[in-house]
Amino acid sequence: MAKVHEITVWARGVIMDKEARDVINIFAKAAQMDGKFAQAFDNYEDLPDRVLVTVRKYVRLSDEEIEHKYVYTNDKPEVVVIAEETIIKGIDILRGMEKGGTLIINSNRPIDDLLKFIPNANLLGTVATVDANTITGVRTVDFSGSEGGVDTTGIGKGIAAPLCGAIAKVTGMIKKENLAKIVSDVSGMERGYNEVKIKKLG
Amino acid sequence: MAKELPGYGTINVPKDREVPFGAVTPAPVCTQDLFKTSNWRIVRPVKDDEKCTRCLICYMSCPDACWEYKEADDEMYWINNFCKGCQICINECPTGALSAVPELDFPDGVARLEKPF
Repeated sequence: MAKVHEITVWARGVIMDKEARDVINIFAKAAQMDGKFAQAFDNYEDLPDRVLVTVRKYVRLSDEEIEHKYVYTNDKPEVVVIAEETIIKGIDILRGMEKGGTLIINSNRPIDDLLKFIPNANLLGTVATVDANTITGVRTVDFSGSEGGVDTTGIGKGIAAPLCGAIAKVTGMIKKENLAKIVSDVSGMERGYNEVKIKKLG
Repeated sequence: MAKELPGYGTINVPKDREVPFGAVTPAPVCTQDLFKTSNWRIVRPVKDDEKCTRCLICYMSCPDACWEYKEADDEMYWINNFCKGCQICINECPTGALSAVPELDFPDGVARLEKPF
């Protein structure tokens, strides 16, 4: 069985719920357009989400069909995406990560300042920051599209677009051309792709 | 303590379960480590001591009782572990003594939890 890549997205409940959900849905769709197999899970473990509570969204990616579909949590995340920078302070976000993982943070602070808040940062291979709040400050508060429902508001309008662009550049798991067909805010995605700051750690 | 209740007879209330008249208890009487909500917040309220008049409006408006007045010092104290950054006290403060400062400006102050909540 081919390796299953696990991506976990952390966000704040209600105010960024839609954006984090967009990230996983866009990622999974872009991977499927590339001929890969992907699963995207909205939060089940963290329900009911309340305003500002940290919530998790999961994506899985593989070259072959993913068979363990009833387990929805990512125990060993390879890539961790933080939709709001303060989450790194209050949660052990790298729990279960194996050495050489990737962390992508939506932040305008220097990477070295952010790493001070992560005690187990030696697990990381790559850290990247993208200032999605400046590129597009939009955060849609909407539950359309949650739990597999039809999304009527359109995906990738807000901070999800630059975050997806950053993920495409840092991880290389998805292609920018596929993203451009999916997201509503293509220019925001391009800016996220171009403006992401990457730091390789030893 | 034995109490006489009309129509019910005498009931026995243990000393530690007694409540004062009107069942008004001084809150918070204790804190629960399992209900720490400090990792919810994005900003924290920072107090300007010169502007603070000790009107206790922050104490009354806080939903989680995170402001404490100590008479001995004549000062308001902020309780870090249970403040979830709702900013109600900042909006309610009549003298503008409270301001919202991003949490990452401070090196400490958030309980780092293993699980989201």
